Amino acid sequence: MKLLAKTNRIYLAFSLVIYLLTALAFYQIIRYLIYDEVESRLQIERRDFETYVRIHNTWSSSPYFVENKIEVAPVSQPPTSRRAFFADTLIQNRYDDELIPFRQLTFYVPIHGTLHRVSIRKSLIQTYRLIEAVTFTMATFLGLLLIGTFWFQGKLSGRIWLPFYNTLSRIKHFNLNSEAPLQLATSEITEFNELNEVLQKMADKMRQDYQSLKEFTENASHEMQTPLALINAKVEQLIQSEQLTEIQTHWIQTIYEASRRIVRLNQGLLLLSKIENHQFQGIQLIDLSQLLVEKLQDMEEVLSFKELTVHICSHDSFEAELPVALADILVTNLVNNAIKHNQSGGFIELDSSNEFLCLRNTGGTLVSEPQRLFERFKKEGTGTDSIGLGLAIVKQICDSYELSISYKETQGNHQFRISRLLPADSNKMIT
Amino acid sequence: MKILVVEDEKGLAESITDYMEKEGYICETATTVQEADEKIYLYTYDCVIVDLTLPGGDGFQIIQTLKQLVVTTGIIIISARNALEDKLKGLEIGSDDYLTKPFHLSELNARVKSLLRRRQFGGHTEIRFQEIVVVPQNRKVYVNHQLTTLSRKEYDLLLYFLSNIDVALTKASIAEHLWGDNIDSADSFDIVYSHIKNLRRKLIEKGAADYVQSIYGIGYKFSQS
Repeated sequence: MKLLAKTNRIYLAFSLVIYLLTALAFYQIIRYLIYDEVESRLQIERRDFETYVRIHNTWSSSPYFVENKIEVAPVSQPPTSRRAFFADTLIQNRYDDELIPFRQLTFYVPIHGTLHRVSIRKSLIQTYRLIEAVTFTMATFLGLLLIGTFWFQGKLSGRIWLPFYNTLSRIKHFNLNSEAPLQLATSEITEFNELNEVLQKMADKMRQDYQSLKEFTENASHEMQTPLALINAKVEQLIQSEQLTEIQTHWIQTIYEASRRIVRLNQGLLLLSKIENHQFQGIQLIDLSQLLVEKLQDMEEVLSFKELTVHICSHDSFEAELPVALADILVTNLVNNAIKHNQSGGFIELDSSNEFLCLRNTGGTLVSEPQRLFERFKKEGTGTDSIGLGLAIVKQICDSYELSISYKETQGNHQFRISRLLPADSNKMIT
Repeated sequence: MKILVVEDEKGLAESITDYMEKEGYICETATTVQEADEKIYLYTYDCVIVDLTLPGGDGFQIIQTLKQLVVTTGIIIISARNALEDKLKGLEIGSDDYLTKPFHLSELNARVKSLLRRRQFGGHTEIRFQEIVVVPQNRKVYVNHQLTTLSRKEYDLLLYFLSNIDVALTKASIAEHLWGDNIDSADSFDIVYSHIKNLRRKLIEKGAADYVQSIYGIGYKFSQS
């Protein structure tokens, strides 16, 4: 959730609670005031009634009381309490059958020696109207105020936070690979300026480090490859000489193999760091499934030499976005792995769909832990010529280009499955 | 046939020239861009082997100068840089081939030969070795005037041997020549053996002598003796 949406939501909830509480309190206060007013008038009328009864010792409908509803009735049995009390009641209007709210004061008065119960009522209809009117007006204006403040708050914070969002989008689009440094606009707000300053410093440092790392990678590549080329060339020349004894041949062969290993190791590590640094450009949509089929065809002789059969269950295109060179390396390493760790007479099975790419092969059971298979220098068996970087490179390529790779082994069937990372996660980060 | 090797690593330049001279080429070396420029202006070469990272400049400069002077000179870049951009740039400004260091001298030799063949005869020339005749233009092989059907890899293997006659070829260089850098399993050497066996059989069947010698522990040599 966005920062502003979140604060606005909290603000809205809080305002609504306050709004409801205020409305309720307001209603109660007005009601209390009105009741107080009505009740004090009823008390006065009660006193008038009692004075009248005391003086005249009788009761008859007097024009004085005409506008009031008054009800006098003798009580046959004495009530439990003689105290006067107020109550709300509804009385039917005799003209239009409507129930009208009344406030009623009930008390007991002896007339001619018999106890009478007297109820004086006052219509609340006017006061109810008043409460309604007041409540409605208040609710409307408070509501308008609420919406107004809310709208204003949204606009204001949108404007105030604008530099922050600008910074955010700049950082999002900041690319270490591109030559352009990170540029952030200054704003009026100190905190944002400080944030920008810190980010700017970090980005500059990162760019510097990245540049030097890149330079180092390239220099290391050159500095190491050249002496290695020299060693190889000299060894190859040595091999050409005629007068080698068998033991000398053996030494030369060992030196040659060792230097070839260093070459491959060096190339593998350079490749890994280059992928990590995103130094590969030219991302394209590539059908990995098709590429895999082509690679398997390329390796036809090797496959038939190892007596491996290839089953293609389905090769619906599985497309991924990555640099061409890396797609080739990815596929080559997978195929090499499937061939190398296979057994004579085994098979390689390709299964792919729009969603995934799956390469299965027969082979011996795994000695090491399956989850460590993608680690660098993790080799199955010590006797092989492998340098143990092939699958680490595969993993690194997948990690760098939003693909996921998983490995599963069941009874000597090894399965590598590549699928796309769900775009949901990346979307969450963008919005 | 004159070849110029532009390489600042003296030992490597020496190895390359030694190897090429044995193949019958006249070789010269240059270690800096200036030196290379001088030689290019003074003489004409059939092929220039050029390193990219050089003291006093970039190998690309030499290629550009060469392209302005003599269009027919073949250019092969040898470089430790194996970035795709470098390869593309190199090929774009007019080099014919790109070899990443470290490489096998035999591989360089094969590439030089193939390049010179393409440059000078448009690929129309035949490669002859005793009773074996290869016509690269249509990838046909004749032994004693009989057409011999070879698989794609067997043909490449034969051509590789013919480019490096009397030279001990390592199994690794053969495997990499046939399948590229990516073949890195120990098994690849066994499959090299099986291909050589097949090639040998097919050549002998058509009446050729057995020219393939096995060198213990190292590899093979294609030789008359």
